[in-house]
Amino acid sequence: MAITTRTVVHVDGISHTFGGALALGPLTFAVHPSEIVAVVGPSGCGKTPLVRISAGLLEPTSGAAIHSDRRPGSVGYVFQEPALLAWRRVADNARLFVTRRDEPIVERLLRVSGLADHAAKWPHQLSGGMKMRLALVRSLAASPDLLLMDEPFGALDQITRHRLHDELLSLHVDQRFGAVLVTHAIDEAVYLADRILVMSGAPGRIVEEFAVPFAGRRTNELRYSPPFAELCGTIAASLGRHA
Amino acid sequence: MKRIVPPMVVLTVILGGWYALAYSLDNNFASGDGSALIVPPPHRLFVGLNDPTLDRIVSATWISLSAALVGFAIATLVGIVLGVAMAFSRAIESALWPWLIAVQVTPIIVLTPIIIRVVGGTFGARVMVTVLIAFFPVAANTLFGIRSVSTPLHDLFTLAGATRLTRLVRLQLPAASPTIFAGLRIASGLAVIGAIVGDFFFTRGTPGLGRLITFFFQDTRSGPMFVTALVASVIGLAFFLVIAGLRRLLISPWHRP
Ligand SMILES: Nc1ncnc2c1ncn2[C@@H]1O[C@H](COP(=O)(O)OP(=O)(O)OP(=O)(O)O)[C@@H](O)[C@H]1O
Ligand SMILES: [Mg+2]
Repeated sequence: MAITTRTVVHVDGISHTFGGALALGPLTFAVHPSEIVAVVGPSGCGKTPLVRISAGLLEPTSGAAIHSDRRPGSVGYVFQEPALLAWRRVADNARLFVTRRDEPIVERLLRVSGLADHAAKWPHQLSGGMKMRLALVRSLAASPDLLLMDEPFGALDQITRHRLHDELLSLHVDQRFGAVLVTHAIDEAVYLADRILVMSGAPGRIVEEFAVPFAGRRTNELRYSPPFAELCGTIAASLGRHA
Repeated sequence: MKRIVPPMVVLTVILGGWYALAYSLDNNFASGDGSALIVPPPHRLFVGLNDPTLDRIVSATWISLSAALVGFAIATLVGIVLGVAMAFSRAIESALWPWLIAVQVTPIIVLTPIIIRVVGGTFGARVMVTVLIAFFPVAANTLFGIRSVSTPLHDLFTLAGATRLTRLVRLQLPAASPTIFAGLRIASGLAVIGAIVGDFFFTRGTPGLGRLITFFFQDTRSGPMFVTALVASVIGLAFFLVIAGLRRLLISPWHRP
């Protein structure tokens, strides 16, 4: 890792133990500005602790997560569940921590994500897909430098999932945040990421890294193209070897 | 219709049972003024309810209602503050919890000398008993509700650099509010019980419903005694309905259990 390269987060030699048992690491990686890094790994390999450490929410047992420019709101987080505030209406969830200056961003995000018509509803009145959209909108409302996503689309049906992939990509074109996407779904990682890190079974380490050569070609046709399938297959094999 | 019919069925059963009881016992209704210690059938409850008696019931209702209201308000405040304090730190929780249980199970009568010394034997004493009986479910439910806030929601506030106060006001209290309301519902019934029980122990000042019941009992005036008890039930029901109404207004629109 060249010191001169700017990173939004540098996860440096971290490992984590729960009750004396090593659950994660040691591992190292960095996310560069506007880069989407996917992390794929088997269930229980410590992906959620990894994301929380990357966010600075969990102190690693050793190593450190270094943020280049940390301030409130500089890290957006999409949790495994929507984690909405049930007592706030949709629009009020979206602008939970937003200053007046950022209001127009929220308005635009709500419009782009098709939530504007639902702005006055309560979270419980939304479908699962809408809830995740709102979680995504909320995480981007403060224009973060780094967006962390912990299996954000895992609970959704495929049609909704694919639609949200494209929404995420178009939001990324606008905001250029760096991102870590943790997922089980290999095709999701290949469709969205610039780089894919494969994790081993617990305690999770990074065992292989793949560059994704599909920048600028991410449309639905890509999903069913031979190179896409081939890369998915390679990653699946890697996961299988290290599970 | 569905909401009206079931309680009416129960009411009919109760009235039927009451009549059956009243007429199966060896009741002598002949005296006619409701003065014997009997089980009067419902339609004879109001026999002997003359103006002076009615005045006493009205002023006792006012006293007990005020004691229950003031006591309930203080119990709510004390309960929420204690719950928040215990949720704030495990040390405070383990320091306070055994004492709260102790207060909870101590018979009120043991506390009467202390209460009289501290707040006097009149209105304040009734309020005090009400608070002692009613605060616990509010405190316990506030603590439980705050502790149940999920990690992701906390993470969200941490990432935003939220202060403890922001976290409390914008996350923990709203998230706990359905649970707190469940505590308030229990406390509302206890508050009415407390106001009336408090009356049994403290005899100074204008009598409330509890002491009035004792008077009517001693005078063997069953009718007025039952009517007074009925008034207490109505107060309890009113408390319950007000809390339920507030809950419908503040919680139900957004809360899906
Ligand atoms: N707070 C915690 N306390 C103790 N152990 C934990 C804690 N969080 C996670 N673990 C343990 O760490 C390991 C990793 O679990 P975790 O749920 O983070 O994996 P994951 O990769 O996110 O899995 P999934 O894909 O199912 O979400 C598991 O063995 C789990 O039991
Ligand atoms: Mg997880």
